[in-house]
Amino acid sequence: MPESIVAVPGAGTIGAVPAAAAPTRIVLVGYGPVGARLVEELLPVVRAGLATLTVVGAEAADAYNRVLIADYAVGRSDRGALDLTDTDAARAAGVDIRTGEIVTRINRVRRTVTLGDGTHLGYDRIVLATGARANVPTLDGVTRVRRSLMCPPSDAASLDTADAPLPRGVTALRDLDDAETVLATVRSGGRIVVLGAGVLGMEFALAAAQAGSDVCVVYHADIPLNRNLDRGGGTVLARSARRAGVTMVSHARAESILFTADTDGHDRFDALICADGKQIPGDLLVLSCGIGARTELAGLAGLSVSTGILVDESLRSWTDPAIFAIGDCAHVAPRPAPGASQAAPAGGPTGLIGPGWRQADWLAARFTAEIEHDARPADALTVAPVAPAPVAAAPVPAAPVDFGPALAAHTHGVVMLKAEGIDVVAAGDTSADPWDLDPAHPDDGHGAAEPVRGRDCAGAPVPAPPRLGVSQWADPEHGRYVKMVTRGGILTGFICVGMPRTGAELTLLFERGSELPADRSLLLRYDGPDVDPAGGGDAFAPDATVCWCNGVTVGAITASAEAGNTDVACIGSATRAGTGCGGCRGRIGEVLERFALTNSTEILG
Amino acid sequence: MTAPRASVARPSVDTHCPYCALQCAMTLTGTEAAGMGAAGTDAAGTDAAARPGVTVAGRAFPTNRGGLCKKGWTAAELLVSPERILTPMLRQPDGSFEPASWDEALDLVAARLADTRAQHGADSVGVFGGGGLTNEKAYQLGKFTRVALGSSRIDYNGRFCMSSAAAAGNRAFGLDRGLPFPVEDLDSADTILILGSNVAQTMPPFIGHLEGARRAGGLIVVDPRRSATARLTEDGGGLHVQPTPGSDLVLLLGLTHIVIAEGLIDTDYLARRTTGFEALRRSVSRWWPERVQQLTGVPVPQLRGLARRLSAGTGTYILTGRGVEQHVDGTDTATAAINLSLVLGLVGTRRSGYGTLTGQGNGQGGREHGQKCDQLPGYRKITDPAARAHVAGVWGVSPESLPGAGVPAIELLDSLGAPGGIRCLLVHGSNVVVSAPDSNRVRAGLEALDFLVVCDFFFSETARFADVVLPVTQWAEEEGTMTSLEGRVIRRRTAIGAPDGVRSELWIFQELARRLDSAGTFSADPAEVFDELCRASAGGLADYSGLSYGLLDTGEAAYWPYPAGSAGTPRLFLDGFAHANGRARIVAVQARVTDAPAQRDGTVTLITGRLLEHYQSGAQTRRVPELQQAQPQARLQVHPATAARLGLVDGGEVEVGNAQGVVSCVAEVTGGIRPDTVFLPFHFPGAQRANLLTLGVTDPVSGMPEFKRTTVRVRALTRTPGADLADAVSARSTRTDAHA
Repeated sequence: MPESIVAVPGAGTIGAVPAAAAPTRIVLVGYGPVGARLVEELLPVVRAGLATLTVVGAEAADAYNRVLIADYAVGRSDRGALDLTDTDAARAAGVDIRTGEIVTRINRVRRTVTLGDGTHLGYDRIVLATGARANVPTLDGVTRVRRSLMCPPSDAASLDTADAPLPRGVTALRDLDDAETVLATVRSGGRIVVLGAGVLGMEFALAAAQAGSDVCVVYHADIPLNRNLDRGGGTVLARSARRAGVTMVSHARAESILFTADTDGHDRFDALICADGKQIPGDLLVLSCGIGARTELAGLAGLSVSTGILVDESLRSWTDPAIFAIGDCAHVAPRPAPGASQAAPAGGPTGLIGPGWRQADWLAARFTAEIEHDARPADALTVAPVAPAPVAAAPVPAAPVDFGPALAAHTHGVVMLKAEGIDVVAAGDTSADPWDLDPAHPDDGHGAAEPVRGRDCAGAPVPAPPRLGVSQWADPEHGRYVKMVTRGGILTGFICVGMPRTGAELTLLFERGSELPADRSLLLRYDGPDVDPAGGGDAFAPDATVCWCNGVTVGAITASAEAGNTDVACIGSATRAGTGCGGCRGRIGEVLERFALTNSTEILG
Repeated sequence: MTAPRASVARPSVDTHCPYCALQCAMTLTGTEAAGMGAAGTDAAGTDAAARPGVTVAGRAFPTNRGGLCKKGWTAAELLVSPERILTPMLRQPDGSFEPASWDEALDLVAARLADTRAQHGADSVGVFGGGGLTNEKAYQLGKFTRVALGSSRIDYNGRFCMSSAAAAGNRAFGLDRGLPFPVEDLDSADTILILGSNVAQTMPPFIGHLEGARRAGGLIVVDPRRSATARLTEDGGGLHVQPTPGSDLVLLLGLTHIVIAEGLIDTDYLARRTTGFEALRRSVSRWWPERVQQLTGVPVPQLRGLARRLSAGTGTYILTGRGVEQHVDGTDTATAAINLSLVLGLVGTRRSGYGTLTGQGNGQGGREHGQKCDQLPGYRKITDPAARAHVAGVWGVSPESLPGAGVPAIELLDSLGAPGGIRCLLVHGSNVVVSAPDSNRVRAGLEALDFLVVCDFFFSETARFADVVLPVTQWAEEEGTMTSLEGRVIRRRTAIGAPDGVRSELWIFQELARRLDSAGTFSADPAEVFDELCRASAGGLADYSGLSYGLLDTGEAAYWPYPAGSAGTPRLFLDGFAHANGRARIVAVQARVTDAPAQRDGTVTLITGRLLEHYQSGAQTRRVPELQQAQPQARLQVHPATAARLGLVDGGEVEVGNAQGVVSCVAEVTGGIRPDTVFLPFHFPGAQRANLLTLGVTDPVSGMPEFKRTTVRVRALTRTPGADLADAVSARSTRTDAHA
């Protein structure tokens, strides 16, 4: 085994030469929002000279906020609103940022990466933040992209398209170039066909409609957002979208594209043709068919890859402890035990930015702790490696050094539609229905005692899983739909359409793993006219406060009136009501009027 | 040596309320022999009720327009309270207190101060001040600490109050004056955003100034509670935004995002009057509305509507209070509020603005003249050689003799009795056992001291730990100045002679300085001290050099800075900000997204705050029968849904606990609070102390403790039978186990 690949995996000292003088060389592949976050968080160790950081980003532009790309594509935000990070400041701190460039190869033996221009860079750690690309569906008229593991693209421009660029009038909506294409059509008033009714497709369609475009969404399922919503929620959303001016074409399997000839003779999109013969004409076809992680570089380097680059809970590649992955390209899954079956791991990249940023923050903190730890000479002695281990071996147990808390496991992301006037938020598993039988509690509604499900090998009772509860509220006429799924009272999934405050509160409850109130209807009332359960009471009830400055109630004023204080000034002298800010003097008058009225009635009666 | 005595009770005197920073104007009229009816006999053997008192009447003034709240109306009752301490008290070996003469007490204090200093160094003596002290006392306390004690260890309870907003204001504007405009300017605004302040209960007459915005439907109140202030938004008055506690910074970043994304910024203003916008623009890109909703619980339509309202107003003010400032990221939160104000082009204009609502009576003046650990009079930095030279010149000492910067309040309190820490502490105008966070730790620190001196009117919870308690004058018994929440310097005047045996702190400083053979002079005459303060502040940020009692007594509306030869500054920043380049600094800040705990089995977020009837630690208001009867005990506000889940009943006993401590109190079940939040007022002593639960963690910039986001577990002590529905059945076993 050559000396150069002998490294110390685990123990937080990857590649660290015992003489702690040399800075740790970090190469970040990808300069999207997640990569940029990592750069920001690593600036202190770079400034301190403890690490060098080289960033290789395929897009020519500095990192920008991809989440807002639909806003930009319809002209709702300007380009400046997408700016996310201060690349100049990072460069000034000593970060080597190379945009418009890609890494074509990772040489794990030599510990170098090869760039598109043929240069080589040495590394101690690599972070892959290569992100994801838009999926291009199989459509007659669109050439399938063939990606060869053996022959990776060598320049940034063909990173995603290989040698098969999309036809004119057909675009994804993933990067700035795509957005420019879309924006031109929005501005010229062209008709837009969106293929796919996922979150991005719906967000864009609604934004474009709001910007005045003629938009049609074509989707295969019976409802939009079918991965996140159930039938009730999806149906309400579809109705709301139609009301917002979007043409919704469900149950449509797109099959091919009809072209027209541009003035220069090139083909241009003319219409989308569905399996049932439907023809949907337009000036631009926006493909919104999901995204796929960019894993070719990792695959080529021999790293384990599933729906993304496989990394363990500390974001470290299953295969190489010097390589990490974060964001849309990373598939976080526990590393299988040695000898365990190699079933495809569960989960996959979430496609959400929040988890990616958390990963970037966490990884930067971990790197910083480790690098600073290694830089301390006294400590370096105590954790000197005992025996070198092969690179691909299972990691040795972590050294007894505390590098901070573990990365919180991210289970289900909260999905929220960014659309003005249409509020959709969903999270977790919402497949259950109110009348579903809970298999763990077949006698639901009868026995109060928790059922016991057999006994474990030691004879101890194994409790059944917590009780499933599903509550639902549907008001399609007013565009409202809520479903709440609980396990043992704890919110494990929900859908909320058309009820913004309810959706916001459910989100908090879900993210925290909180219990729902036993009376679930409380959550619905947040968006009702009686949102204030403490208010709306009788303003003239005896214990209702009239004068806040002096804490005087209706009862106290009435009592004072009974004692003969029948005008506002007398009440003020007697009870101090109205002698603070004076804002309640009108109400004191009203209380006195009612008092006078009641009194005279009583006298007359 | 005898104390300077106010002559006799004058018939009628114009002064201001002793409590909050609104400093409502009042007129005090002497009475022959007041008294609460309940005649008590004080330590000196005098019949308390036989002493003459005063009656209180509201007085026309721009801030309160003649109105007073319940606290102000009843303030005079404390003058004749039977619980007043009327002679120095010395702790006896058996723990009891015995009266002593002033000479005896002061000789003892001086000897112990000198001994401690000789044995353990000057910094082993600490001083803890208060935001309720007059400018003269606050100034003299700082001078006494630096000159007579030679100690750097001084800080004050304003650290728990204004420090975050002050740090943010200094950072952004180069100067910190709570409201950089007269309160009356709010009257003409059509949009006022109040973040984390319950003015309707903490300074009720202030809400008169919100009337214009209410009429325009533009009062926006951000509070996790439907507080009395939030209720002012009802009936078309505006909007109540109810975020989850601790998410204020995210909320403000999100609003700034919308304002920028929707092109609602004042581009011209930003270009002419600010620096740093580009960094802000980039930094808020990550706080798009949907993400903000996810973290705050504030729905997107509300966020957008709010942002648009702020930019549409013809007169828009953004005001912050302790609710958003008393956090570990309080400085950044106040900064985010300032940044939002700046991108909207509000600050330093005549019709709009940003301000922070100062809490304590002299919370403004108290933070300007040297009670802060790193500060010299005139809001000068103690680390600035020019400032040291100037102030040392006024004090008649050498600049080298002045100590350097000390440590902020929490650090100071943490060092009580610790190795190398404070061994001897003087407390003035503060009741740290009740008001400081992590109360058990504070108490342990006080017990670990060699010697504790407390100046107070009453045996406060802190005074009970003292070795010497020195009785001092109350507001109606002394002359002085206060600087109100709007930066206006106002006069406090003597309406009644102090009881025999009670002394002014100025006199105490003079006596101690003499006994300690201190350099410099320590006058006991408030007017003289004020003149000296004015000279010491000359050229500083808070320049009072054009002021005197003579000028203030003309009724002049004197707003600082008021350099000699000027007419003061009612509105700051109209021509420029206080930084060298005249521009406001936009400092981009970020929120750290932290995981909130799961709200299960009684785990909720505790926020603390004030009630209408009580003031701060309640040492005063709990001794006013009318106030105490109205709010006799701490009540934990809890939402009905949470109450149902936990089996709490209104008025039932409840226990609130965490790793810091346990509070026992009663529950107040109310829909006016978020289900994930409980509220506990911090005015009460003993087992009801809210600060038994708060953590001593602090903001890295301001030293402000985290008061408004504490995770606690709530448990019913009085249970209702069959309190809950099906869900609780499964949860109950775990709960019982956990509390077994």
